[in-house]
Amino acid sequence: MDIEELEIRDFVGANRPFDQLPVEALVSMVEAITIRYVRRESEVSGTEQGEPALSMVRSGAVELRTDTGELLTRLGEGDLFGYRASAHEVAEDHHYVALEDTLLYRLPSSVVDRLCNEHSQIAWFLAPAGAGRLREAVRHHDDTSNSPLNLTDTRLGDLLEREPVHLPPGATIRQAAELMSEEKITSMLIVEDGTLFGVLTDRDLRLRVIAAGVDPESALSEVMTLAPVTASVDTNAYDALLTMARHRIHHLPVVDGDRVAGVVTASDFIERHTTSSVYLAADIHRQDSVDSLADIAQRLPQLVSNLAAAGASAERTQCVVTGIADALSIRLLELAELELGAPPVDYAWIVAGSHARGEFTIASDQDNALILDDGYDDTRDGDYFAEMARFVCNGLARCGQPVCPGDVMATNPEWRTTLSGWQSRFSHWIDNPDPTALMHGCTFFDLRHIYGDASLSATLRRSMLERTRGNSIFLSHLTGNALKRQPPLGFFRNFVLSHGRDETGVLDLKHVGVVPIVELARVYALAGGIDEVNTRARLNAAGATDELSSSGARDLGDALTFLSDTRFRHQARQLEAGTDVDSLVAPETLSRFERGHLKDAFAIVRTMQRSLAQRFGR
Amino acid sequence: MLERILGNFICRRMASLERQRLWWLKRAPAGPLRDYYQVPFARPTTPSVSTDYLALDLETTGLAPERDELLSIGFVPISGHGLQLGGARHYLVRPERAIPESSAVVHGILDDRAREGLPLAEALPPLLQALAGRVLVAHSARIEHDFLDAVCRRLYGCAFVAPLVDTLELEQRKIVRAGSPIAPGALRLDALRQQYGLPRYRAHDALSDAIGAGELLLAQIAYRTTTRPLRLDELMRRY
Repeated sequence: MDIEELEIRDFVGANRPFDQLPVEALVSMVEAITIRYVRRESEVSGTEQGEPALSMVRSGAVELRTDTGELLTRLGEGDLFGYRASAHEVAEDHHYVALEDTLLYRLPSSVVDRLCNEHSQIAWFLAPAGAGRLREAVRHHDDTSNSPLNLTDTRLGDLLEREPVHLPPGATIRQAAELMSEEKITSMLIVEDGTLFGVLTDRDLRLRVIAAGVDPESALSEVMTLAPVTASVDTNAYDALLTMARHRIHHLPVVDGDRVAGVVTASDFIERHTTSSVYLAADIHRQDSVDSLADIAQRLPQLVSNLAAAGASAERTQCVVTGIADALSIRLLELAELELGAPPVDYAWIVAGSHARGEFTIASDQDNALILDDGYDDTRDGDYFAEMARFVCNGLARCGQPVCPGDVMATNPEWRTTLSGWQSRFSHWIDNPDPTALMHGCTFFDLRHIYGDASLSATLRRSMLERTRGNSIFLSHLTGNALKRQPPLGFFRNFVLSHGRDETGVLDLKHVGVVPIVELARVYALAGGIDEVNTRARLNAAGATDELSSSGARDLGDALTFLSDTRFRHQARQLEAGTDVDSLVAPETLSRFERGHLKDAFAIVRTMQRSLAQRFGR
Repeated sequence: MLERILGNFICRRMASLERQRLWWLKRAPAGPLRDYYQVPFARPTTPSVSTDYLALDLETTGLAPERDELLSIGFVPISGHGLQLGGARHYLVRPERAIPESSAVVHGILDDRAREGLPLAEALPPLLQALAGRVLVAHSARIEHDFLDAVCRRLYGCAFVAPLVDTLELEQRKIVRAGSPIAPGALRLDALRQQYGLPRYRAHDALSDAIGAGELLLAQIAYRTTTRPLRLDELMRRY
């Protein structure tokens, strides 16, 4: 008809969600539009033909404010508001007011409902709350679930395809070799009464039996590897690969509690994974000098670019980058011990912050520390650990992990102390939560063991959680700290719109995006005494307790995924362009689709911040 | 001719448009024009928000109604101070003579496309039907009015009258009242739309311009409305 050639149709059809409509449906929708003009500073009526109205801003700008004048959102050209399009529950005391002279395209609710019934894409976009929409977006975006990159999601237990083949320790080497040929397997588990005694591989048969001239009629127990490294069925495949790389083994027995469940081999993974990241980790463990480690580490940016190009999510990539960072630390510590000799007392090398949470990115700097056994004597052992810290931290810096600007590193004597020293420090932070204490605390409340005596790290974490759990004074301070950073309200034209702040032309996806979620998750974990460090793991664990509703945990998880992925794509583009990597995004580079979902994610975070404030705030 | 002189004479004597309508209703031949006159005009004292308008734009081969021809008609109804896109229509009209080059430059309607149009006798009735009971809105409405008058006389032998709101005249009145000089071009539709913060349209066909004039009226109304509701006669063009 006549509408077809109109620019109005082009305008409406160029904006979400109506760009999803077939032409005939779009034309019939445009025919239902009423155009209204709202003078600057006038209130926008909420109804059209006596029904609640959905409005699209054609030109001008509209604000949503409460009776008390609090700004909730601001809408510009192409934005939708009103019926089914508000991220906010629009209450009686909320008003849409034209900020400029504004031309609106409006639809009555009956037309909107009909569109939603007939076109699921529209219904999806005009869902009553942003959370569901964000979940869909996250699911659609993460299209790598069937790709070879899903190692971090794969449990070892799911890789086991057959019952384990095993023999008792008393069986002969010949019996083992025959059974291995028969079953076409490359390793034999040695099990008695369901307990794993050892493992014998093809390579062992070659090196320890034939080359060494051992009689094939001897008992297996003479040549097998005793008490081999094992992994639980719940370990994710990626961690298992890193373990194998670290120990330079190709067979990894898998246990389910006390029961032997089977064995995985390196080749089981290769079919599933491009493995470049695992090769990189394996290479790291083969290097004998800091120079050669630094050479190898230069491959990391390319690896991250490849992962991004292959469509990997931010979370998978962080897992890979964290794994590489772990491998570098471990290898440097091994090299340090080789150079400095055996340590005079037990120690644990720990990492803090994003590295501890498994959220290391290519732009992260190092946060690490040393926990020393209480037998440590400063005059006797001080030089050794100072030297170790210097060796490792300098090494890490050469491998592309910048030194921490806040000097949270083991080279700083303050962060190189005994277990009881650490415990009293944590007590101090928790009992006197002033701003400095919270700043240090928030770094070290996220703490993970890397190398050395794991019981030192575990003891410290346990005693910390005992002190924080249900500690309402501490938690209220921690909450206050966590709520300092509020996500923006959304976007207005090419600006980021924040409550009580000027519009800015740049969105800091780290500080107003990811960090507020990390901080919420930390409060839930410390409040509930949850021994998880990774943000998603904390949210999941908290969602199973009274600390957080399961829907809250899920919504925050989705928001985290979307914000991290948006940041990761931004960083991947920077890597590609060879510029410095940061988290600062210019709104004009975001698609309308991304803006919409970012707004939903921010709304979720703000909602959860409010409920946390009610719970612990003072 | 006598009819026409008499009509004009009586027009001038008529105190109200409504009485003119009744006068022409008796004289119009059965058909679209009489049907149009069947529906009472809006009372001048009606609040603007309760008035039904029809924003109209005509494209023509020139500016002389007695000589030039219609090329296209575009209109959109306005009710309750909202433009109803569902009622928007656009008709190309087939002229009887070739389109002068000078006018083709302005509206871009060339002979080929004009030949696809409807004969005037088919394009006019839907417009009259849509206009019934509505106030005609146009930018420089006198031209629309005079062309419709000329074609009604040609086709039906009877004059065309309608309550008019002229968005150009409204603006002119405002400037004159303020005692400011009128800059050249300041009263053009595009210039005024820009002044009221309305978007710029690329196209200038009859329907786009009708919508453009309708939106301009909404803006003018918004800026004239005070605490007291605006009445239709505050907007209407004086005949």
